[in-house]
Amino acid sequence: MNSWWVVPLCKTIHYFGIAGLAGIVGLLDLRIFGVAKGLPLRPLQRLMPWAVVSFLIAAVSGWVLLRIAPGNSLGPPVNIAFAAKMLFLVLIGLNDILYFATGLKRQVDTVGAGENTSASAKIVAGVSIALWIGVVYWSRVLTFLAGAI
Amino acid sequence: MHIVDILQQWSENNAFFIWLRESPSVFAYPMVFFIHTLGLIFTAGASVLVDARLLGAARQLPVAPFARYFTAIWIGITLTVLTGVVMLGSDIQTKLQNRLFLPKMVCVVVAIALTVALRSRIASTRPETFVSPLVRTLAAASLICWLGAIALGKFAAYF
Repeated sequence: MNSWWVVPLCKTIHYFGIAGLAGIVGLLDLRIFGVAKGLPLRPLQRLMPWAVVSFLIAAVSGWVLLRIAPGNSLGPPVNIAFAAKMLFLVLIGLNDILYFATGLKRQVDTVGAGENTSASAKIVAGVSIALWIGVVYWSRVLTFLAGAI
Repeated sequence: MHIVDILQQWSENNAFFIWLRESPSVFAYPMVFFIHTLGLIFTAGASVLVDARLLGAARQLPVAPFARYFTAIWIGITLTVLTGVVMLGSDIQTKLQNRLFLPKMVCVVVAIALTVALRSRIASTRPETFVSPLVRTLAAASLICWLGAIALGKFAAYF
């Protein structure tokens, strides 16, 4: 289990998951803001299950990395950065639940090529982008504090 | 004296790079590394998604409007390259001596060149969902380069 290549391989898989997730979430959130407006939103939102798959790849590989190097989540100040990262992920989950529960997702589905989204959709997309940037920030602080850079 | 030695000596005595290397502040090296990570995640993620579309995923999405998205990709590339150069400058010799550094840079340069090639071809796509065999080939090469750059970057830290 502790061959030298296990950790970099897990990190590579972690990043592949993140790339898939960032690709879909980034484009969806930015399109809601009006970037690449020629893209209709319904087929774009159909990619959401693939974002979930990507997230699971990142989550599982992240969990394996924690098992291999528990120091990345234990003891202050590292655990504070780790807790902040997890808190931001929970907030992202709540933001997504809000997006579906309020019917915003279905409303955005009707936004075609060249059309604008509502202000409330833009707020949810903005919160999503800010929180995801926060997740990346806490991850970097985490590796810095854990001396893993 | 070799150019690398000259640059190394300059970086070793440069106040900014000394601060970047030695400061325990989260606003020093971690901030540069954070922006680098953010830029590369966005750039690679966006490119992988565009490549996946060109290779046949999500066929209901028109191709031409993606050309507009390349502006965002270029912002990501700029942030990643600038912060990458700063991190390289902080430790030139060690980073250049890494056996995976050059292969990673080759992947990155080819991937960026493919980004240029793809943008112009996507913008002129007619009809909107048509993808030519050439564009598909370029997209496959782009996908391999971005994923390769990520893998080499991750493995480089362990070489």
